[in-house]
Amino acid sequence: MKSLHYFKRVAFAVIALLTTAMTASAQINISGTVTDAETQSPLIGVTVQLQGSSTGTVTNLDGAYNIEVPSSESVLQFTYVGYNAQSIPVGDQTTIDVALSVSSVTLDQVVVVGYGTQQKSQVTGTISSVEGSDIQNLPVAGASQALQGRAAGVNVVRNGGAPGDGGSIRIRGTGTVNNAEPLVVIDGVPAGGLNDINPNDIESIEVLKDASASAIYGLRAANGVVIVTTKRGSFGEKLSVSLNAYTGTSSAINTIDVLDAPTLATLKRERYTNDGLDINPIWEDPQYQTQLTNWQEELLGNGATQNYDLTVRGGGEKVAFAVSGGYFEEEGLMTNSFFERFNFRINSDFKVNDRLTIGESLQITRQRGNFLGTNSAQSGILWSAIRFHPGLPVQLADGSYSSSQVSGEFGDINNPVFTADTEDGETTRHRLLGNVFAEYKILQDLSFKANFALDGTITDGDNFSIAVTDQIRQNDINDLNRSYSENYSLLAEYFLNYNRTFADLHNVRFVGGYTAQSFVNDGFSAGIDDFANEDPSQRVLDAGRQLDFIRGTRSEINLASWFARFNYAYDEKYLLTATFRRDGTSRFAEGNRWGNFPAFSAGWIVSREPWLNDSGILSYLKINGGWGRLGNQAVAPFQYLALISGGRRYTIGGQQVVGSSLSRIPNENISWETTQMTDFGVDLGFFDNKVLARVGYFVKDTEDMLLAPPTIGSIGRASVPDQNVGEIRNQGLELELSYQKASGPVTFRIDANASFIQNEVTSLAGREFLASRRYGRPNQEIARTFEGQPIGTFFGWQTDGLYQTAEEVASDPNIANDPRREQGLIQPGDVRFLDLNNDGIIDDEDRSILGDPFPDMTYGLNASLNFKNFDLNAFFLGVLGVEIFNADRMQGIDPTYPFNMYAEVADRWNGPNTSNNIPRMTTRRDNLNHRTSDLFIENGDFLRLKNLTLGYTLPQAALKNLGISNWRVYVTGQNVFTITDYSGIDPELGYVDGNLQQNVDYAQYPQARTFIFGTSITF
Amino acid sequence: MRNFNYFLLVFTLLLTACSEDFLETTPFGQATSDQFWRNADDAVAAANALYEPLDDGNFYGHTEQTFEICSDDFWRAGDHGEDQAIEEFTFDADNAQLNFSYTRKYEIINRANAILVNVPEIDMDANLKDRVIGEALFMRGFAMWRQHVIYGSLPIITEDDYLDNNFNKPKASIEEFRAFIESDWLQAVDLLPAEHTPDNIGRPTSGTVNGFLTKLYVHWEKFDEAIARGQQVINGPYPLAPNFADNFTIETENNPEMLFAVQCSEGWNSNAYRIYTTPRPWGGWDFHEPIQDLIDEFEENDPRLDATVFKLGDIVDLGGDLGPTEYVEGLSQTNYHFRKFASWRPSGGLSQDQNVPILRSADVYLLVAEAKIRSGQSGDAEINAVRQRAGLTPITGATMEDLIHERRVELAGENQRHLDLTRWDRAGLIDLVAHYQIDRGQFKPSRNFQRPKHYYFAIPQREIDLSNGILEQNPGY
Repeated sequence: MKSLHYFKRVAFAVIALLTTAMTASAQINISGTVTDAETQSPLIGVTVQLQGSSTGTVTNLDGAYNIEVPSSESVLQFTYVGYNAQSIPVGDQTTIDVALSVSSVTLDQVVVVGYGTQQKSQVTGTISSVEGSDIQNLPVAGASQALQGRAAGVNVVRNGGAPGDGGSIRIRGTGTVNNAEPLVVIDGVPAGGLNDINPNDIESIEVLKDASASAIYGLRAANGVVIVTTKRGSFGEKLSVSLNAYTGTSSAINTIDVLDAPTLATLKRERYTNDGLDINPIWEDPQYQTQLTNWQEELLGNGATQNYDLTVRGGGEKVAFAVSGGYFEEEGLMTNSFFERFNFRINSDFKVNDRLTIGESLQITRQRGNFLGTNSAQSGILWSAIRFHPGLPVQLADGSYSSSQVSGEFGDINNPVFTADTEDGETTRHRLLGNVFAEYKILQDLSFKANFALDGTITDGDNFSIAVTDQIRQNDINDLNRSYSENYSLLAEYFLNYNRTFADLHNVRFVGGYTAQSFVNDGFSAGIDDFANEDPSQRVLDAGRQLDFIRGTRSEINLASWFARFNYAYDEKYLLTATFRRDGTSRFAEGNRWGNFPAFSAGWIVSREPWLNDSGILSYLKINGGWGRLGNQAVAPFQYLALISGGRRYTIGGQQVVGSSLSRIPNENISWETTQMTDFGVDLGFFDNKVLARVGYFVKDTEDMLLAPPTIGSIGRASVPDQNVGEIRNQGLELELSYQKASGPVTFRIDANASFIQNEVTSLAGREFLASRRYGRPNQEIARTFEGQPIGTFFGWQTDGLYQTAEEVASDPNIANDPRREQGLIQPGDVRFLDLNNDGIIDDEDRSILGDPFPDMTYGLNASLNFKNFDLNAFFLGVLGVEIFNADRMQGIDPTYPFNMYAEVADRWNGPNTSNNIPRMTTRRDNLNHRTSDLFIENGDFLRLKNLTLGYTLPQAALKNLGISNWRVYVTGQNVFTITDYSGIDPELGYVDGNLQQNVDYAQYPQARTFIFGTSITF
Repeated sequence: MRNFNYFLLVFTLLLTACSEDFLETTPFGQATSDQFWRNADDAVAAANALYEPLDDGNFYGHTEQTFEICSDDFWRAGDHGEDQAIEEFTFDADNAQLNFSYTRKYEIINRANAILVNVPEIDMDANLKDRVIGEALFMRGFAMWRQHVIYGSLPIITEDDYLDNNFNKPKASIEEFRAFIESDWLQAVDLLPAEHTPDNIGRPTSGTVNGFLTKLYVHWEKFDEAIARGQQVINGPYPLAPNFADNFTIETENNPEMLFAVQCSEGWNSNAYRIYTTPRPWGGWDFHEPIQDLIDEFEENDPRLDATVFKLGDIVDLGGDLGPTEYVEGLSQTNYHFRKFASWRPSGGLSQDQNVPILRSADVYLLVAEAKIRSGQSGDAEINAVRQRAGLTPITGATMEDLIHERRVELAGENQRHLDLTRWDRAGLIDLVAHYQIDRGQFKPSRNFQRPKHYYFAIPQREIDLSNGILEQNPGY
């Protein structure tokens, strides 16, 4: 409560100060021309900007510009792709002509590192930067989606396309079988939750990839660090107002072809005939042999996406600010699925005096959305739509939903449209992320900074399940579940910053300090059953008649750390960095709490050596390398304690009783996971840095990886604590290449990146494998993690077509000793499985690794072209050398299930040489034709045009009188086309069981194709 | 300036000083084992938790009952693909069904071990302590008995193993496994009361334990011991209910005949088996459909048939909007469903109050009769007690054939038949290979039961793999 008051006061102060700042400025008119320093020809479209501000103008066809600045202390910045930027103080001038020279732009860029900033060329670690402008106005719910494919070694893995779903971020491979998400730092606050930020508020995203860059975050850095910096105002910046708006629609990219009702009945009858059984009469019933419904089309309609945001920025002599507010909404393809976000942000800085600067960042978001279950092969909603009987109508004549209660032959599925229509569950999250900081200049070269932050999230879940009595999967009694939880963290940190150059040659920098963060979670939930009336107005806890449960939980985790980084540069040529962090965490037992995380790196800018200066082609060369140790503490806390849980329900004497039992066996030695990374890279610039390239190589070894010991059944059901025993190695090569060219009115830029990362589990400490989630009702095992292999390889049988004739069955050596052959259980039209252990029997011993869900290569390519007022941007994303296990098809062509099947089953085996890959129709599972096998392994390579944007900036002349400085309109397509051989709905499949299963098709929520129209206006 | 530096120094020292405490946080709400096992309340809570896994869909809620599809009483029905191989004896060790109830039973065993380790140290009422320890011993034996019936033998996890986290053990011999169960039950029977006060009905009594001992001994062919234990049930306060159907009717389901059942109550804990055995349009999932062969086993006018199955023309009150509803063709493929496991609320919907029977006195009567017949004595009295309750004429000079018939109709659907048949085959009383080879129509075709392999099911392949060679598979798999 205290903190809320506190923030109210801060917000009030900020607004008061802003108002003062905005009224203070007087305007000066500046004009001039911009030319190429070499050719003296005018440059068109050069951005002329007030330093640090978004307001500005561009030069016209004659290279001329005209701009108003607030004061003679203003600084104008001239930027142009392919040229060195120039900053010129206005002073007394009213005409400023500028000659720009061809540049090495990206090398002088300033990048954000932990607890500070550094010039990119002086960084010895490996950092990828993504400019906010590159991810502006994409029709995506959050920054993590926008990050997909933008940097080498940064892989954003999406598990389908449910609204608001951000996907998982993997930096330099999957470093652990446990939580492998990177640490997200927002404006200096380790905060998580990349997707709460409006991407349009982001100034830049820096991804710290190697140990040297990320070691300053020690115990939380093993999976990399993503630093988000939001836009701030600048001192002396003219007030500007910019508005972004876009709206558009989305549609399904494709669906699975399934059988129509008459063909389904024919094939179902064929099952019985083949087995010599009486045909179930339902399949003779003409009522169910008329094609009525394409369930996928009924389920997957059109979605819609819209975004509106407004930013006001400016600054006076003492105050700078940026205030923004926005609304984003995504309606999914499936009925009733949606996500929306309101966000507000105030960033401000105050110069108290020459020595003291204070500032704050404050973000308030409200997100609301729901998630339809699409990861289950027993009740998943798209899974159901693929399988529901196509001869049933969506609704019957009386308005009720059709049901597969008609017959056991129609399977254990609820009408998917019914499920989607009656879905009533949503989660609302309110988040307040704010920090205040003060920076005090103790000496010219030494400053002290204190930073205090509060990150609070209130998550509110509300789920009403109606009573379902006329569908197969029933819900006897309606119920309402509500959950409410608070997560908040408090941060306090203090550090010193020192930066001094001695004798013009020796640059020494130091940052070091103390930080402590506390994380508290406090939540409760309740469920009430039996609502007399299901009207929406009655769906509150008070209206239910029977208490089901009330629960409450609380947890607290604290972190305390010391950190230091030391940089030394000689002549901006020889660079050294040493980093150290000492971290303590309350997750583990006393004695296992503190850890040390050192890192070292060095760089050499070879092109600064006189002997390489004049090479003509090679304009830049830098070599860097480093080593460091990092930790991962994102594991279940308190595993060093044995826990007893209550709430075990039973009935004794007709009365409700509860019991208590051990819920976790303890491990007193549990500790964090450790990662050691070695990194080496070369930066190259060619042709005056028009072409820039970076080649990086890393080896990342995770040690002490937490593994649950084999949970053999004799342990029972208590959870078994993890042990620090596993090892994983990720190693890879990263390539980044950019090229830019400007000629006359045309500028062209291309950025490409590719990552080649190998993942290998190097030790499971004696465990044969790690199991993962099994598929569907028969619990088919699909993926196992073995030592010496990548995580989650597909595991099953190998096949060699189908038996075409009885002779082939009789003579097949694979089943020479298989008793099923003698019993007549293997027949022509069945799959020929390979007997890998040569015992003449097909059994579990014949399984092998069938494929690998990790791509050999992931790549992204961004190309932009500006011509006069037009801009065109295309962003491609792709993977190569990856396999998908198409589990949905495995079940979709299996006739032993009482479901509809894939349309391709019409081409099944029904006589010699009719098919060699779709087995015969049968009700029997004697040969288990559809067991996990290479029949369902598919090539998952794809190339996707993720974004295509065409924009037009209205001519300056037309806008002048309207007081508009910039007005752009654009159209964008998302997921415009995909080139793939994959036969399922979408080749972009993510994780379904932690990291242990990837690229398995469960009929996940499909990604949509979206087209938007948008406009950005700056006043 | 000076002030500021001073402030900085103090602040830093302050932080350092308190940082060790700062890293000491507690897990809230969950008791650690140091904070539990304090008093009688904790002991009773631990005992209550012994029963909690019983109603699980992966135990008596369904999958434990699925092993019974091997019998000749009912067809698997339903839509669980893996069941076919179980019913037809074509399964291999990777069949999912073999996994489901495995860990539930070990969970009960380990909850019992925790009680046996900790409760003796608690300072509490001696009678209550005896009861709690007796419950733990009975339930450990019960979980092991069910493991024995299905897998023959598995690792025995004792209190010491539990304390030492020693869970990956080789399996015991079948003889050792049975002896361990016997020992637990022989201790439990002396610790548990013969009857419970109404508020404790549902906990095992000494009669429950004697009933299970009878079953173990008959299975073990220790007939004298079986008769001795069984007589204690027959002579104890566990009379047969006046009507057979009382055992399956919510109002009377906890009558004294019910020695052990999964106890359920509306809105709290319920047993999914009521859904599994019910026709789909009546709110069920349509598993385990009785076949004609079972129906034909009932003598004419045996009222137990009506209490055991729904058959064409039966009118059943489904409550609510549906009300009295006729059981018609199409509800089932075999034209029958079991009716022992489900009832409907007056307001509609399957009642959650329905218990699931695990052991009834009638079963013990027939076990005693079997022990007597097989050891050359007369079992007439016990068989006739069961027949007379059903209103059937007594028989004299009852043979094993009579007994086999009586057990089948009395206990149909109650998860006994396949176990009975394997016991009789082992003793050479029947030829189970030939019996299961008989083609009983589409829903129970000829099946290839292999002796002795199929006396026991395969140990789940997962367990074999995870044991790193310590756990051996059953012979033949």
